[in-house]
Amino acid sequence: MSTVDTPAAPAPALGVARPSGGQPPRRRRRRRGSARADVLGLVCAAVIAFPLYWMVLSAVKPEGEVQSLNPRPWTLRPALDSFQRLFSVNDFGRYFLNSVIVAVVVVVLSAGCAFLAATALTRFRFRLRGALLVALLVAQMIPVESLTIPLFFLIRNLGDAVPPLGLNQLGALVLVHLGLGLPFTIWMLRGFVRVVPEELEEAAYLDGASRWQFLTRILFPLVAPGLVATSVFSFINAWNDFLFAKTLIISAPEQQTLPMSLLVFMKVDQNDWGAIMAGSTIMTIPVLVFFLLVQRHLVAGTAGAVKG
Amino acid sequence: MTAVELALPTTTSQDRDHPVQPRSDRGAWKRRAPLLPALVFTIAVTQVPFLLTVFYSFQSWNLVRPGSQHFVGLRNYVDVFADSQFRGAMLNTVVLTVVCVLVAMLLGLGLALLLDRAFLGRGVVRTLLITPFLILPAAGALLWKTTMFDPTYGLLNFVLGGETDWLSEFPLASVMAQVVWQWTPFMMLLILAGLQSQSKEVLEAAQVDGAGRWRTFASITLPQLSRFLQLAALLGAIYVVNSFDAIFLMTQGGPGTASTNLPYYIYQRAFEGFDIGQSSAMGVIVVILTMIVSTFTLRLMFRAFDVSGGVR
Repeated sequence: MSTVDTPAAPAPALGVARPSGGQPPRRRRRRRGSARADVLGLVCAAVIAFPLYWMVLSAVKPEGEVQSLNPRPWTLRPALDSFQRLFSVNDFGRYFLNSVIVAVVVVVLSAGCAFLAATALTRFRFRLRGALLVALLVAQMIPVESLTIPLFFLIRNLGDAVPPLGLNQLGALVLVHLGLGLPFTIWMLRGFVRVVPEELEEAAYLDGASRWQFLTRILFPLVAPGLVATSVFSFINAWNDFLFAKTLIISAPEQQTLPMSLLVFMKVDQNDWGAIMAGSTIMTIPVLVFFLLVQRHLVAGTAGAVKG
Repeated sequence: MTAVELALPTTTSQDRDHPVQPRSDRGAWKRRAPLLPALVFTIAVTQVPFLLTVFYSFQSWNLVRPGSQHFVGLRNYVDVFADSQFRGAMLNTVVLTVVCVLVAMLLGLGLALLLDRAFLGRGVVRTLLITPFLILPAAGALLWKTTMFDPTYGLLNFVLGGETDWLSEFPLASVMAQVVWQWTPFMMLLILAGLQSQSKEVLEAAQVDGAGRWRTFASITLPQLSRFLQLAALLGAIYVVNSFDAIFLMTQGGPGTASTNLPYYIYQRAFEGFDIGQSSAMGVIVVILTMIVSTFTLRLMFRAFDVSGGVR
């Protein structure tokens, strides 16, 4: 592990002062190569996004057309009956709301915890720091398949002590996703915290800032782009989870999450592809919206940094 | 916000974490005490499941026989390694991980370089490129199974002609294609973040000094990226080792056990054999394997790129 637990490669000493900037002037002779690259980028994007297109297409195809021997990459009669079948699942709205609650709580808690813990793991100097960082990663490497059943018993016992975190509770899902997602988030954030010069911290304290003021007013905005990137990830993980929703919410239909509603359409003899794809489409929308929202912040943060 | 500006490393030595000695150790600890609860909570929620797995791996425990739980030492590990199916699954896992991480990384690097320039519709292209990562993984696997690989109406046969049944003739390769598709955007995002944290002035300076584009890339961009590439490879390896949806939904590990990887095999042991002891032991082995594979992948990668100083 020694090669990977210190990912701070010695970057070339680029630490030149760069007080201002603005967009560097584009060179004219780059134009032609640039156009070729643009086309290449578009083609790649089209190829990579093709299955997504197919998903939406299958969702809006009328029932008979979804699985035919002669599939067409378009449909002349877009229909919403797949969506109707999907929404007719009992409590669909409730499932949706549950998924949103779990995902949002996970994102907020893991951002908060990871920010503080990553700062601690970067700035504290203590004997076991290296070991702890590796331990975090190691915890992330266990296949969830081998964890699921032990976690079931753990959550059941926990529920006896703290009911909101027990079986059939959304709290259990939050806790599990936090545990499985935090190591990743911390490792991502560590890089962002590390590059904030310690002198800045010293200076803040000299200027009379309190601990919280330093953390929230100075360090937090600097680490925010990293938090944005990692929150996309923890949102996706919590949002898309099938396994734990299925194993930890066993007998409380009103606490189920969205992926469970898709299971209704998976049958041994004949899957209802239209409804499954409609469900997948519905499930992708919030993720996409979330990504687009934070993407703008990501870009704004980067652009702001270039402007100075 | 000046995050990226500050993100520029100012010195090269590892000691720069503490260039200025805090007033005193005790003072520093006191000042940072608010961070401790979060740290302790994090350690608890992340480490307990792992320790539990390690504990169960030394137990004989089968849910089919209630009350059978007892300590057996290394017995589970011995049994697991004597199992030829397990060894096959292990090999598949290694192949899948190394190939997928390297390919996804190269593709991600290429796409990130494409996106790191201003052009019309960049936002749209970037969003499209990221969609495989945003989509429900189960849906992604199903889509590949039906739209790409289906022998009668799959896109692949439509383009290439022929009647190849991809999933039964090339099961592992088909799964790898899906996994690469799913993980390339992740690599691309991380590498793009690295590219955008580059100092534009330094790049300009290199150009003024007469360095060609390739030269600039090799001697300025790649070393700057190495930290991001390492992180991407490491995290990518962790997640790709644990690929499950693609195999479960596309091939069911088959035909036979041709595309069974460790998570799928563990799933079978845990949910069909109810053998908690053995599946935990296999979980621990996956952890060790992941460490070996990710270290190996990092080595391989940095030898290929020849980034001096990237690996220490």
